Amino acid sequence: MGMGRVTGRQRTNLLGAISLVAALGAIAFGLPALNQMLPSDRPVPTDRPYEIGGGVSVVPPAGARIDVTETRPAASSGTVLFRLGPVRYLVSVQPFDGTLQTAVARLRQRITGTAGYQVTGTELTVATAGGLDGIQGGYSGPGRGGRYAVFVADGHTIEVTVSGADLDLGRTLPAIDASTRTLRYAPEQAG
Amino acid sequence: MTAEPRLRSARSAPVQPGPDPDLGLVRSPAFWIVLALLLAGAVRMCLITARFAEAYPRALLTATALFALLAVPFWFVVSELDFLEREPPALLVLAFAWGGLVATTVSIPGSAALDDIIAKLGSPHLAADWGAALAGPTVEEIAKTLGVVAVVLIARAQVNSVLDGVVYGAMVGLGFQIVEDIVYAMGAVALAGRGDAVEPVVTTFLLRGFLSGVWSHTLFGALAGAGIGYLVVRGDRNLRTRMGVAMLAVLGAWASHVLWNSPLLRDGLGNGALALLAVLVFKGLPPLLLIWLLVRAAHDREADYYTTQLATLDDPELVTPAELEALKFGSRRASARRHARVRAGIRARAAVRRLQRAQARLAVEISRGTPDLTRWCHEVRRQRRTLTKLGHPEAVVPEGRGPWRRTASTVFSTALAIAVLWAAISTLGGG
Repeated sequence: MGMGRVTGRQRTNLLGAISLVAALGAIAFGLPALNQMLPSDRPVPTDRPYEIGGGVSVVPPAGARIDVTETRPAASSGTVLFRLGPVRYLVSVQPFDGTLQTAVARLRQRITGTAGYQVTGTELTVATAGGLDGIQGGYSGPGRGGRYAVFVADGHTIEVTVSGADLDLGRTLPAIDASTRTLRYAPEQAG
Repeated sequence: MTAEPRLRSARSAPVQPGPDPDLGLVRSPAFWIVLALLLAGAVRMCLITARFAEAYPRALLTATALFALLAVPFWFVVSELDFLEREPPALLVLAFAWGGLVATTVSIPGSAALDDIIAKLGSPHLAADWGAALAGPTVEEIAKTLGVVAVVLIARAQVNSVLDGVVYGAMVGLGFQIVEDIVYAMGAVALAGRGDAVEPVVTTFLLRGFLSGVWSHTLFGALAGAGIGYLVVRGDRNLRTRMGVAMLAVLGAWASHVLWNSPLLRDGLGNGALALLAVLVFKGLPPLLLIWLLVRAAHDREADYYTTQLATLDDPELVTPAELEALKFGSRRASARRHARVRAGIRARAAVRRLQRAQARLAVEISRGTPDLTRWCHEVRRQRRTLTKLGHPEAVVPEGRGPWRRTASTVFSTALAIAVLWAAISTLGGG
């Protein structure tokens, strides 16, 4: 083979390699692009409890829409993400066998483990209408503020995180707080 | 007239030995493109690892060490699958790297996107129940199979039997499995929220490394690789048939992966030992047996081919009829080595292994049509002399001792290992 001459075999080989790259590109970029094209939020009834999973339910705040990409209900655990405009309201239920203090420490560590995020202010005790006792605090990150609350109920931890720009938070927090107070643990709903 | 019986290898899995790979590989455009893909994958995985290293250095080090150790026996078993015609180490490394760097890199965004698409087109409930079972296998099996295609593009001559496809596919799967396990372990550390803790890593290692490891990506990759091997090797069949078989194999890998990830048997049986047993027996065992039978058939057919090549020499100093029989099956080769150790000590065992390897290499050279076999014949004779000096001149299987003892021993060891692991996981709270 002389230098600079491209043989038929090399051309076929190149075509095969390009097809390989195209297939990888379809997976790594095509699927995410297709995903982006589809809307991720859906309306959700705000006049009745939404089953998160693990026997936990919450009444969504007025005007909330559900983000299906981060909502995964299951028998023993579950996550739901409500969006109120640009504000994220995430409730996560996971099996847990520790105390409320341990659960709070765990969530705090996850928040501060993200670069630029820190816990602010003092923590307060909160209670839901259904009798769940929890602890609530605040945090801040780059260009965002946030609120967290943790409850422990019968082998489950219920973590609530709210995040958004300060102005948006100020506008939506009353409705979100009201929603958080509707958190209810009813084990017969699990499974 | 009696028709001469055809070899099993000729009937269903022809062997087409190629030359050893040389620097000519770099003239192929695919070589450079695959190299660029590997580099891009390496950069991406380094960025992910750097984030873990910053937050959880001790856990990352532990996870890397544990799963790297786990990779060793898997690597040994996979590379030994094709004892008679071993794959070039550089290509095995390439296949492993594809699985660990390229397939993982594209699968992370691809699987997440497909999982979201399932939630969007179906519902969050559907995604919660079946997302992992559908999104992961669909994206990952394609990404891994492309690794075997990459090997074919770079070194077509090195994929010369269905078994070669199995080996490369399994190696891609192994690379994927090890890197994915490390990422999962670090995810477990982050989720635990206890800082740089090692316990979640150990639990992940026991659950994903041992209990799930046997029927994981290595196995699925082997099945898909067999299909690509068939597609490449069966030049005597029309393209439609070969493509059909290849797609069937990839579909089989996908279905096995779907079954393993599916929520079937997950609910209703709880999280106890019964549920684990049910999952292992009904979800893991059928694909494991299917793929084991396939690998065995591919191996036996290849062995048929190579031992027939050796038989043409008709020289008992190079290979005796009894040694030919021993060479045909992995279990018999192992029996011959064990027999040598019992009769003449550990050095005889090693010498038998070297003799078998030299005979295998000679068979490959014969099948390649190498005109001057002196070098390879000399090596076989050298090993024969060593064995003769040790008082064990022939690498044969002892008569009257079937494989049942080994089978019973393997079953017992496996059951014991699972029991010990289960106890360890329960103690760690991972059950």
